[in-house]
Amino acid sequence: MGLSGCYLCSKITITKNMKILKTFTFLLALTFGLVSCQDDRQARLYSEVRSVNKLQLSRMTVSKLATIDDLKLGEAENMKQALEALGDAMKVGKRVAAYSYDTYLTAYVDMSELSPEDVQVDEKARTITLNLPAIRTEYSGRDLGINEVHYRVTGLRSEIDPRERAGIKEMMNTALKKEVEEKPFFRDRLVSSAKAKAQTFFPALLGGGEEGYTVIVNFKE
Amino acid sequence: MKTLYKYLTLIVVLAVCGIIAYFYFAPSRSRVTLHDATIKEVKDMARLCTVEIYEEVPVRGHVGQRHLVAREVLVGNISFDLEGLAMDSSSDTIRVTLPREIVEIRESTEPGSYTVIDNWNDSFMGDANITTAEENKMKQLTLDSFVKAVYAKGYVKRARAEAVANLTSLLSSMTGKPVVVTDPSPEGYQGK
Repeated sequence: MGLSGCYLCSKITITKNMKILKTFTFLLALTFGLVSCQDDRQARLYSEVRSVNKLQLSRMTVSKLATIDDLKLGEAENMKQALEALGDAMKVGKRVAAYSYDTYLTAYVDMSELSPEDVQVDEKARTITLNLPAIRTEYSGRDLGINEVHYRVTGLRSEIDPRERAGIKEMMNTALKKEVEEKPFFRDRLVSSAKAKAQTFFPALLGGGEEGYTVIVNFKE
Repeated sequence: MKTLYKYLTLIVVLAVCGIIAYFYFAPSRSRVTLHDATIKEVKDMARLCTVEIYEEVPVRGHVGQRHLVAREVLVGNISFDLEGLAMDSSSDTIRVTLPREIVEIRESTEPGSYTVIDNWNDSFMGDANITTAEENKMKQLTLDSFVKAVYAKGYVKRARAEAVANLTSLLSSMTGKPVVVTDPSPEGYQGK
């Protein structure tokens, strides 16, 4: 009885261990399987071309500047920053640089949203009324390169390499986009410039000629 | 005595862990200072944009034995300047000539649009650093090559065909007259 009980216990233990092993193997396989199924954009270069019908009316160039310098002890807000500032002070040489680049915002009207009802011609009054779609704004890219405004690395300090510059540009990009979102001034100025352009462009395009129509430009909200 | 040593050891270990945790979680200060964005220019225009491009491209270059490989996301558009568009409305039909295309390609503002993959020197212990000017030149060469590809792939041809259709529709709906838009160079004006 004792021996069969022992045999039974060991069999149960082996079965339990096998179950644990099978579960672990399954989870491991699932993990590898999921990892291998991740977005394969990482393995190939993405490309997209699409047709649009946008009338660009205004473009804004926004410049962003970033500077690199050692930490100052007076600016430290906690022990960690104080130690880092002390570390920088003890390093041989200086590491100072300034970089800038431009980002572009465009205001446009999506002409695919213009319908025949949005163009009203009054033959008697000799007017053409245009109800244009609302003006939209979008980022239309940034400079490829980065402008090195100032660069001074001396002594035993490490050079600012491409990876660090790419990281700085990324920080500048994030900060700039946040600034544009938080300050309506940027978009407001761009939109008002676009509206003013529309008020002069369409009359010049349509209002001339022998008929001499007056063009009235309105924007939908 | 043994208990005392145990407590002392425990206190020391906890103190060390506390210091490590503090330095790990305490906020660090960046050596990079970001200054406020400034508006450099606001330019008005009247351009009809018919094609938008989004493409990831490799940036590869070397200066001597120093090499750089990066991945860049380019965005661009092909547009047509409608300012001073010559419209011949002497007859019942309005005749317009499609102007030269404007191909604008820039770096995307999406996060991670420029990533350095590798940067090395062929010689052992050699300095691998690529300067800003050298990197900018590599990017410019990539851009020039991409613009050529835009023409070769037929994007410009497509954009010009779309512009003819869009301009015809736009002008005819606004003027109420039949409009004929002619394209003197359907393949584009590359290098011309």
